[in-house]
Amino acid sequence: MAQAVEPASPRRVAIATIAALLVAALLLVTVVLPAEYGIDMLGAGAALGLLGLAQERPVAAQDDEYRLDEALLRVGPGAWLEYTYRMEAGATMLFSWQATGPLDYNFHSAPDGAPPGYAESFDAQENDRAHGAYTAPFTGVHGWYWENDTASEVTISFWTAGFYSEAHEARDRADGYHPLTDLRGNEVRDR
Amino acid sequence: MFTGRRLILALAGAALAAAVLPAAAGAHPMDERNAAFVQSIDGFAFWPFLYLGAKHMVTGYDHILFLVGVIFFLYRLRDVVLYVTLFTVGHSITLLLGVLAGLNVNAYVIDAIIGLSVAYKAFENMGGFERLVGYRPNTRWAVLVFGLFHGLGLATKLQEFTVSENGLVANILSFNAGVEVGQILALSAVLLAFLYWRTRPSFERHAFLTNSALMTGGFLLAGYQLVGYVLFS
Repeated sequence: MAQAVEPASPRRVAIATIAALLVAALLLVTVVLPAEYGIDMLGAGAALGLLGLAQERPVAAQDDEYRLDEALLRVGPGAWLEYTYRMEAGATMLFSWQATGPLDYNFHSAPDGAPPGYAESFDAQENDRAHGAYTAPFTGVHGWYWENDTASEVTISFWTAGFYSEAHEARDRADGYHPLTDLRGNEVRDR
Repeated sequence: MFTGRRLILALAGAALAAAVLPAAAGAHPMDERNAAFVQSIDGFAFWPFLYLGAKHMVTGYDHILFLVGVIFFLYRLRDVVLYVTLFTVGHSITLLLGVLAGLNVNAYVIDAIIGLSVAYKAFENMGGFERLVGYRPNTRWAVLVFGLFHGLGLATKLQEFTVSENGLVANILSFNAGVEVGQILALSAVLLAFLYWRTRPSFERHAFLTNSALMTGGFLLAGYQLVGYVLFS
């Protein structure tokens, strides 16, 4: 293997190595530690405004009214039900529902101003329950679609808490359910 | 000795490293969206894992810095292929074994060693072993051994989120294939830059300084990870 073009003197290598250590230590203490871990031994992080980078923000204040809701929803055999809320982008909701039988469900959201029938699907499967947290990625209408493919009525015990408004319930209409599509035109109703 | 101009260049290089480092540090671990997706995968998924492996390598400045050090003074393509193969063999072994055996190595320690591997390679490029230590460890073995550590780092990253047992081996192989694709991409860019730079007189003039800056970057990475180890492990 070829070696350094101009052979460096031992003294020069030693100085370069020590300089590398010193510069690394200086950058570590003044820039990296304040920005990454919030450790600011020399006050340089505060002076450079880097300390905010290291701060975790697990608490997010929300402006909307806090709501707590509970409902019993019945879905007849072969029928469907859609239950949605209005939510602002960044608003969070906790949810928990449990059904007396298996349902085809789909959690989906339609941003304001989206073409009719457009929705993004975030969770679609067959189950008799789902629990979790949802943070709206955009302002619009967010909620569940349940379809009962069984031969008997299914009752859903439904709880939500968080920052939403305008609950909206839709059921089988004479013209049937208009299938949701994503921007590529793919149907998102089914798995 | 350092002339004024060289000192300015060295400081500029160090400042650049400092500017790039925190930004890149955020990009290095797989971001949340990727992690959530990988956790939802159950079964063999070739393309997602290939993509993640390639992305990890291309955005992984620590691996790229090491490769820069490795090929710095490799003029013949045959040597480049040989050394990069050694590195690849090394990290493939530990990536596969690490995930399969569920080796839980501390990520901070591994990343600190990876940082030190960069400093080591730069020190070697500067002729430090001959001139200061009087003994130079075998270059090929060193690249292979550091390859093993880099692979452990990759394995730890992959294990940071639960990967389904279903299709695990095939998925790791895909991730590993992606790592090689990403490495070829990153290496091509670095090699092209070197091919051009070597034709300029500035290469000879600044080779030593560039390796000093590389070494600084390696030490900085190691320090950053070691403090993380002290804080969180």
